[in-house]
Amino acid sequence: MNIFQVAYKNLLRKKIRSGLTLLGISLSAWVLVSLLGFNRGYEKALNKDIDNMGFQVLVTAKGCPYEAATLMLKGGTGLRYIGDSVVNTILKHPEVEKVTAMLMQAIFDPNKGESGGITAYLGIDPTTYPQMKSFLKFKQGSWFTDPEGFEAVLGYEVAELEQREAGDLTLIPEKNIELKVVGILSRTGTQDDGTIFVPIKTLQKVFGMEGKLTGVGVKVKKDANINLVEQDLYDLPDVQVVSLAQVKQTIMDLITTAKMMVFSIALIAILIAMLGVINTILMSVFERFQEIGIIKSIGAMPWDVFKLIWVETIILCLLGGVLGIAFSLGLSKVTEVLIRRLLPYTPTGSLVAVNSDIALVTMAAILGIGIVSGLYPAWRAARVRPLESIRSEGE
Amino acid sequence: MNNRRIFLNILSLYLLLYLAAWPLLAAVGCDLNDPDRDVKRLFPESTGYKTIYVSIAQRGGENLLRQIEQRLGDSFKGLFETIDVPYTMYQIFRGKELIGYIHGVNQKGQYGGIQVFLALDLEGDIRAFYFQKLTSQYAKSLRDASFGQQFIGLNLKDFYHYDIVSGQTAGQSRVVLIKNPAPEAEPDFRATLRATKKNLILVDEFLLGNKYLKFSPKEQDHNEYLPSGL
Repeated sequence: MNIFQVAYKNLLRKKIRSGLTLLGISLSAWVLVSLLGFNRGYEKALNKDIDNMGFQVLVTAKGCPYEAATLMLKGGTGLRYIGDSVVNTILKHPEVEKVTAMLMQAIFDPNKGESGGITAYLGIDPTTYPQMKSFLKFKQGSWFTDPEGFEAVLGYEVAELEQREAGDLTLIPEKNIELKVVGILSRTGTQDDGTIFVPIKTLQKVFGMEGKLTGVGVKVKKDANINLVEQDLYDLPDVQVVSLAQVKQTIMDLITTAKMMVFSIALIAILIAMLGVINTILMSVFERFQEIGIIKSIGAMPWDVFKLIWVETIILCLLGGVLGIAFSLGLSKVTEVLIRRLLPYTPTGSLVAVNSDIALVTMAAILGIGIVSGLYPAWRAARVRPLESIRSEGE
Repeated sequence: MNNRRIFLNILSLYLLLYLAAWPLLAAVGCDLNDPDRDVKRLFPESTGYKTIYVSIAQRGGENLLRQIEQRLGDSFKGLFETIDVPYTMYQIFRGKELIGYIHGVNQKGQYGGIQVFLALDLEGDIRAFYFQKLTSQYAKSLRDASFGQQFIGLNLKDFYHYDIVSGQTAGQSRVVLIKNPAPEAEPDFRATLRATKKNLILVDEFLLGNKYLKFSPKEQDHNEYLPSGL
């Protein structure tokens, strides 16, 4: 029988106590893995959401609502325009990779709902926009067949509300102009779901807005300094620059505060688990005072006793760590639901991304706790004097 | 044995939480825009209402879908008319007494979605008809009160004689009296009649306990082959 088997059997002698200590350690490991997984998953999901915008910077005319929700809020009014020559100006910037021109138009539809409503259209450049938003997938059909055609691509929710499918017709209210639906996008979870996309040239023609834009999406080169690009764009006349990098930073700042609080809780949980381990092993040492004395009197050296007790602690921590990691993997969905309920904003996608690195780091941390926690009880056990301990049996 | 039971309880709880966390990707239903206001408008004598959510998938699956399609005389089509569409049904109360129902359905029109809402009495007779949403060039004529009034008093028995595919009405159905207010609006007019028939069938299936099933043409054909006395 080797030292590991002896240590394991010793732990089994007090099943409930060992089990509770194991549970304490596994809960700490669970919290730690979930937290590290959240740290990784949240940032990844947030980056994905930002990347799904297709461009990092949006240039619009000063005071112009830059997305459909704001436009609706303003009752479809308040649009400001910039000339399409700005596209070439921005494209000349050395750090800019791609640009895409956009024109947003809104029209009052008296038959939408019971008292009318606003319908918004987004004119896009069929050559650059689909490239920039290559992640958009189609439920039916595809992008426009003609860059100046009377065609529309509908976001999933618009299509569902309007019961449109590829091949159907849709009507621009008031103008009474028919558009042929050529594609239905799959659900994205973004504002694209509620957007009606039309070739920009067509929309300019229909609304008499030739040469005018409401926004330009800018994708900067990889490793480019977005802040510098933004500063340069601010120098363009009568434009406002909306940076999604800023939006991301604000959200990350908010989340960092929340994460610090959770990390503190995790630290407390780990300290409690550590004290639990020390207590359990120390109790076990005191209970086996005579037994340790007998072992030593038949030839065991202090280092042998030290190792035995130390190994017990390490086994307990290793098992607890494995159990905690299993909990965190199995219950990651539940953890995610809890996080989504607690946080004011959560991006789409998986929030708790546990990988092998996180599992290894946690195991290392728990093992470290085991090694440190076992030192004192093992030292106490190693110091037991055989005669004193045997004599104490009768006392 | 006890340990096993505890383990099973924990497992069930975990599965329940896991399923609750699963993202819901069901199709869109058709709700009243402002239920408090709309219920009071359609049933001024009402004091309250209860909302029920049902779907064909939940209540009977493929077999029920076949039965509904048979009664409708047309199949469910396209991306959005599917077995998992949740239908929102409103039971209307005066005090504790049930006095009627309100139900709306989405229907594909020529240029966009149409939402047809019906207010029904306990017998399944239409007491009010209105479009909550209508994308049509001829929306003004179709939304005119006189158009909706033509549906009042009709029930599913009348609509059984209306053939959705051909747009023809057989026999002495009162549906034949419903006039299209604008001849150019024929596709949306027919879509409206289809939506009304579908709406009435769904209410019969989910709220009236299939009161009108026996009047369904298919059912009557079937009855002809039954021995007399049954």
